[in-house]
Amino acid sequence: MLRYVTIKIDGAFIRAPRGTSVLDTAIEYGICIPHLCHVSGLTEIGACRLCIVEHEVAGRARVTTSCTLSVQEGMVVWTNTDKIKRLRRNIAELLVAQAPNSRAIQDVALRCGVREVRYPFRNQDCVLCGRCVRACAEIWQARAIGFVGRGKERRVDYPFGRRPDFCKQCNYCVQLCPMTITPCEGPMKNGEERLCGNCESQLMAAEENPDGCIWCQLGEGFQCGRYV
Amino acid sequence: MPELGSFIDLEALRERIVREREPLRNTLIICGGTGCQASRSRAVIEAVREELVRQGLQDGVRLRVTGCHGFCEQGPIAVVEPGRTFYCHVRPEDAADIVSETILQGRVVERLLYTDPVTGGKVRTEPEIPFYMAQDRQLLSQNRLVDPCVIDDYLAIGGYSALARVLAGMSREDVIREIQSSGLRGRGGGGFPTGRKWAECHEAPGDEKYVICNADEGDPGAYMDRCLLEGNPHLVLEGMMIGAYAVGAHQGYVYVRNEYPLAVDHVRTAVRQARELGLLGPNILGSGFSFDVQISRGGGAFVCGESTALMASLEGKAGEPRPKDIHTVVDGLWHKPTVLNNVETWANVPSIALQGAAWFSAKGSPGSKGTKILALTGRIKNTGLIEVAMGTPLRTVVHDIGGGALNGKAIKAVQTGGPSGGCLPVDRFDLPVDFDALAQAGSMVGSGGIVVMDEETCMVDVAKYFLAFLQDESCGKCVPCRLGIDRMLEIVTDITEGRGTLEQVELLEDLADTVGQTALCGLGKTAANPVLSTLRYFREEYEAHITENRCPAGVCQALITYVVDPEKCTGCGVCLRACPHGAIRGDKKQIHEIDALLCQRCGICRSECKFQAIRVH
Amino acid sequence: MPSPTLDPILEGRRSQPHQLIEVLQDVQSLYGYIPEEAMRCVSTELGVPLMEVYRVASFYKAFSLKPRGKNVITMCQGTACHVRGAKLLLNQATGQLGVEPGEMTPDGLFTVQRVNCLGACALGPVVTENGSYYHHMTPGRLRGLIESLRHEGVEETAHA
Repeated sequence: MLRYVTIKIDGAFIRAPRGTSVLDTAIEYGICIPHLCHVSGLTEIGACRLCIVEHEVAGRARVTTSCTLSVQEGMVVWTNTDKIKRLRRNIAELLVAQAPNSRAIQDVALRCGVREVRYPFRNQDCVLCGRCVRACAEIWQARAIGFVGRGKERRVDYPFGRRPDFCKQCNYCVQLCPMTITPCEGPMKNGEERLCGNCESQLMAAEENPDGCIWCQLGEGFQCGRYV
Repeated sequence: MPELGSFIDLEALRERIVREREPLRNTLIICGGTGCQASRSRAVIEAVREELVRQGLQDGVRLRVTGCHGFCEQGPIAVVEPGRTFYCHVRPEDAADIVSETILQGRVVERLLYTDPVTGGKVRTEPEIPFYMAQDRQLLSQNRLVDPCVIDDYLAIGGYSALARVLAGMSREDVIREIQSSGLRGRGGGGFPTGRKWAECHEAPGDEKYVICNADEGDPGAYMDRCLLEGNPHLVLEGMMIGAYAVGAHQGYVYVRNEYPLAVDHVRTAVRQARELGLLGPNILGSGFSFDVQISRGGGAFVCGESTALMASLEGKAGEPRPKDIHTVVDGLWHKPTVLNNVETWANVPSIALQGAAWFSAKGSPGSKGTKILALTGRIKNTGLIEVAMGTPLRTVVHDIGGGALNGKAIKAVQTGGPSGGCLPVDRFDLPVDFDALAQAGSMVGSGGIVVMDEETCMVDVAKYFLAFLQDESCGKCVPCRLGIDRMLEIVTDITEGRGTLEQVELLEDLADTVGQTALCGLGKTAANPVLSTLRYFREEYEAHITENRCPAGVCQALITYVVDPEKCTGCGVCLRACPHGAIRGDKKQIHEIDALLCQRCGICRSECKFQAIRVH
Repeated sequence: MPSPTLDPILEGRRSQPHQLIEVLQDVQSLYGYIPEEAMRCVSTELGVPLMEVYRVASFYKAFSLKPRGKNVITMCQGTACHVRGAKLLLNQATGQLGVEPGEMTPDGLFTVQRVNCLGACALGPVVTENGSYYHHMTPGRLRGLIESLRHEGVEETAHA
């Protein structure tokens, strides 16, 4: 039997089952919180930091990720304050400067309001969102890939760098990977990196409705939880 | 030795130890801590042992090998009791004189006495040394009195009487209340009120609870915990036992970083000896309280000093922090309520239990009570471990204790709190060692590291150093820390190499603010502090690098050139031979020349030259 | 490598996944690095997925996945050592031996390593080599130390 709690998101009272995250609740109710490492059905790790919200506790606002925040009776959360918008935009800017060669990354950056990239572009092929690792561990429980190394050297790899025989070749890792979604105008080779900005039309509609879900193509691009 | 079955047994044993030691008045204390060992104190200890045997004194003189005395640069250190004659830079050859002159005849060996760098005079006893005089060594002074591998020493000075008092007559709530009113705040960096942490764990539901001692001291430039754990492990264990009793835990862990093998060794010995006496294990002193301790070593990861990462490491996993929306006092090690405290925090507990909260809170400032051990290092005359009352101004630390600048250079700043802290300029030296005051000024007390910097330290280079450190140690899970620190480092590197722009400084501030607010754990959240504090107080140095392509301190390699001073060069050729890039030319006894194209400004020639003939241009 | 070699290390720790780090530390002490077969053996004996063993072994700096030189020269790069010129020592070692930190010289005699603070800060710059601590090091003294270690190594192979 589900027990419900009542929480307040952006001023609106919302009933949510005990044990769900603020992010899942928001997605369910059509409140737009951009996210990347969240995949419905996999554990939450709070790694990309895009889904941050302001959680009011004892008069102070704590910035925390909504995917790891469980709903509690009486909780008060703000998803789209000016501060959150600026912080989210800066994080998305870091992501797209690191790995622009992906429609998913470009779309989530645009949805987070990135209009210019102030860092030199790099062209990495992994953003360490961990979707593949969690899928491998949790869906087929193969554990054939995982995080290896630390800090700047952190990467996803097989044990000893070779695909083990217990890899089930289920392909979930590839299906969930945001880097496999090619930018609209084609792959960006080294030297061709830029902020895409092609979905201006979508962005304008989104800017008029900053916190509501408008079933934007951007969400489709970054595999938003509302689509999955 | 039979196990102690009651409080009476403990006191009886203590009395017996003290009585047996009465007749033996002469004690020779030699420091065997890691610092003095690096200065070869082990050879000194062996030489002294042999000398005592040679003179037939091995039963008449007590030789005590202790942990760190805190004045490491003067090591190896030896202290002779009675009288506390203080000898420094002791070599094995000095053993004969120390025994024959000082121990047997009470005469001082002049050449081994400490020389005051300010007055030039010799100082005879430890209490008279200015370095020690300005301190309040509540915890550190005990190191002189105990051999860490001999539990009897600890018992002789009253050890475990706090535990006995607690188990005999205080309820768990009594203990928690005492710690709360003492005002003790975490000594590892967080400064969180210890009493409140214990109260929350005590209230958390569940029968299985844990206490952990965080000895992962990773702040570079900080070695307080090493000193306490190496020198007086029983003090820390006793604190843990009292805390475990208070919150209802029966299992404790000491997590020691991999780079401290001696500390691991000594705490293992201490646990073993405590178990033998029945001070650890089931039904301690007949009280019904059971508690035991396990030692765990770190794997070489600064991030494991963060509480959730440490717990992951104890569970055998990679040390990646997890979000703390639910606190570890409720959901910690193995998802059970856990109290994690720093070594120094635990070390303060027994004296509070014994002497009371009022005694402890009489010292310090309104928001920061008690004393704090600081690691004073850098460009000052006296470096080492010191202990001062909270609220002591930085100026007192740097000048009265530190003895002021090294080599006549002008002191420019102190860096406090390690990589999570910040740099404070000279005009802020009136700030007290106080959790809130330093935090408001843009730095923090942190674990207690204080690095003094002078006119030859480039503050932009300092920011770069800390960012590189944090980038190396970041676990890499979250975007703001992994990518944010990387980009901050990229910008600061550009600035130190002459490519910086003023727009980059604005970007740096925006990025630093973002990382600080959105990172998953403390490492990321405080990563911005070195950058933001140097921008706040030393902005002109950043601007000089950017607009004038100049490094005021003469450090940043891309912005300086090395020149041979023709008036000082003697043509000795040392620099020519030392240069790994073949950039120096010159014949014997002729003035040498540096080829600016080949010179990498690695600095090796400058450090080798005995005539200071190589200048920075 | 036959499992019996790891028996003393695995004794009392089998089927206890949380002992992974302690076990790997003992393996590191024994071999000077963590060989692939050791990881496979540990995975089976402790009951930890292979990917997890590899992950933990690659996460902590105390573990080396590649063999290390006979003499491991560790240079402290902590703050106190840094302001006293620890970088010069690193320049000296990498320049003299021709390898980057973390790498082994081709003759297998040396590995240069950086460490972020050994806790002997008042005596900086500090260098350790196979358990011995050297304090107040200068590039000149480091050059001498490396040379004397190299001669020891040459003598040993000459007598072999």
